[in-house]
Amino acid sequence: MNDLRPEFHHELDEIRNEIARLGSSVVELIPRVTEILLQQDLEGAEYVLRADDEIDARSIDIEERALTLLALQAPVARDLRQVAAALKLAPEIERSADLCSNICKAARRIYGHGLDPKVRGIIQRMSDQAHQEYKEVIEAYLAVDAVRAAALPDMDSFLDDLQRQFIAQIFESHAAGLIDLQVAVQLALVARFYERLGDHAVNISQRVRYIASGWLPVHDGATRYHQRAIADQPAEEPGGD
Amino acid sequence: MNRMDRSNEHSREQRMVTASANVSALPEQVHPVFQLDDVSVLYGDFRAVTGATMSIREHEITAFIGPSGCGKTTILRCLNRMNDFIESAKVEGTITYHGVDLYDPAVNSTEVRRRIGMVFQKPNPFPKSIYDNVAYGPRLSGIKKKADLDVVVEKSLRGAALWDEVKDRLKSSGLSLSGGQQQRLCIARAIAVEPDVILMDEPCSALDPIATARIEELMKEIKSEYTIVIVTHNMQQAARVSDRTAFFTTEIGDSDRRTGQLVEFNPTAKMFSNPDDERTEQYVTGRFG
Repeated sequence: MNDLRPEFHHELDEIRNEIARLGSSVVELIPRVTEILLQQDLEGAEYVLRADDEIDARSIDIEERALTLLALQAPVARDLRQVAAALKLAPEIERSADLCSNICKAARRIYGHGLDPKVRGIIQRMSDQAHQEYKEVIEAYLAVDAVRAAALPDMDSFLDDLQRQFIAQIFESHAAGLIDLQVAVQLALVARFYERLGDHAVNISQRVRYIASGWLPVHDGATRYHQRAIADQPAEEPGGD
Repeated sequence: MNRMDRSNEHSREQRMVTASANVSALPEQVHPVFQLDDVSVLYGDFRAVTGATMSIREHEITAFIGPSGCGKTTILRCLNRMNDFIESAKVEGTITYHGVDLYDPAVNSTEVRRRIGMVFQKPNPFPKSIYDNVAYGPRLSGIKKKADLDVVVEKSLRGAALWDEVKDRLKSSGLSLSGGQQQRLCIARAIAVEPDVILMDEPCSALDPIATARIEELMKEIKSEYTIVIVTHNMQQAARVSDRTAFFTTEIGDSDRRTGQLVEFNPTAKMFSNPDDERTEQYVTGRFG
């Protein structure tokens, strides 16, 4: 069996590697921005914010390469799914990196305010969970492993639960006078950023399953919409025989 | 031919239902135009294709793709009994056309070829005028009056999207046309006898991209009236025009001879986005050929 389009397939592999590299950047960023937040490392925050431009540029580069393949190589079957997924994944990862930047911005805003140990503990746990999800999904992507990818929604419900605990803890710490209102608002946003990182990991996992098998996610809203459309159809078309 | 007539009428009744229906929404019980069951074709003791089973549906374009020697043209030729002309050819299994066994000895093979027209790889107009090329079939089937023939010729040339280009020179030779026009003339000739099915054996392989695009558009325009089966080497052409695609390949069988077989038959969108069989995937993505 000989490959008839080696150059095209090489470029496809390159795009895939580049997406994995971009995803790995986010995997590394998550624990790093958490450390910046907890250590109140202003210099580190500045560095991460600057580096975000590079991630934006790499993401756009991936999109352009994928579009070029679509325009020139007419990919089909699994190749087509790879390219279509690349177009979805690049902005997904780019947005995840933005969330890491947002955590750095929150770190700047709460600079000088102490965080009580319970709050610190739950931030660390949310970070660990988001990190683990992202690491898992990027590995699943590289291995085109639909089974590993399918575990992401369950992992993510744990992160959602941590967010609820975090919000409850913010109220509790604020009521106890441990953190002031400004910090409480920033922390609520931080909880949201980690939770969104998990959502992006779930989105990526859906694309991995799509590449592997053509499976498309079932969205409840879309299902309701189609059911309504069917219900609204007239029972019988006039003039049929 | 009575059985054939009856079943054809039956399918006309269904035409109203199927013409507007979405391909994927078509119920499985819709009566196919052709039903192939475990069809093999032998040339002498050489088995060219083995075990093809598929349903070809009305008002759809069905494409056959696959590497050279995979048997796609052989199967196409079975559909209007072109293989009858080859002494040693033998068809096993059953092929029904609107429910009638196509190879039943009672079936008149001339009538089969009137209902099931063929357009070949290389345009092959007769060395006659454009008019006579199109009028040839209708004359054979007994239309003698000039006025009637005029109507058929114009209708057929319009149907093949050629009328505007040739209406002022119907008396000039069919061979004076360009390659793409000649191929459309052959399509006009095929539809002049009002067939039910048009078989096309790589109809665009000798044409330039613009002539190819015109033929492809024409196929989509006329499929509401005909059922089309096309053999093509151009995978993108199958993707562009067909509703369903059959992928054939060759397997090395006994005594090192290659035998064609049908690997997968599915809606075209599925074949080119998420085929069921790994071999289809490998072929359409260019990982083997």
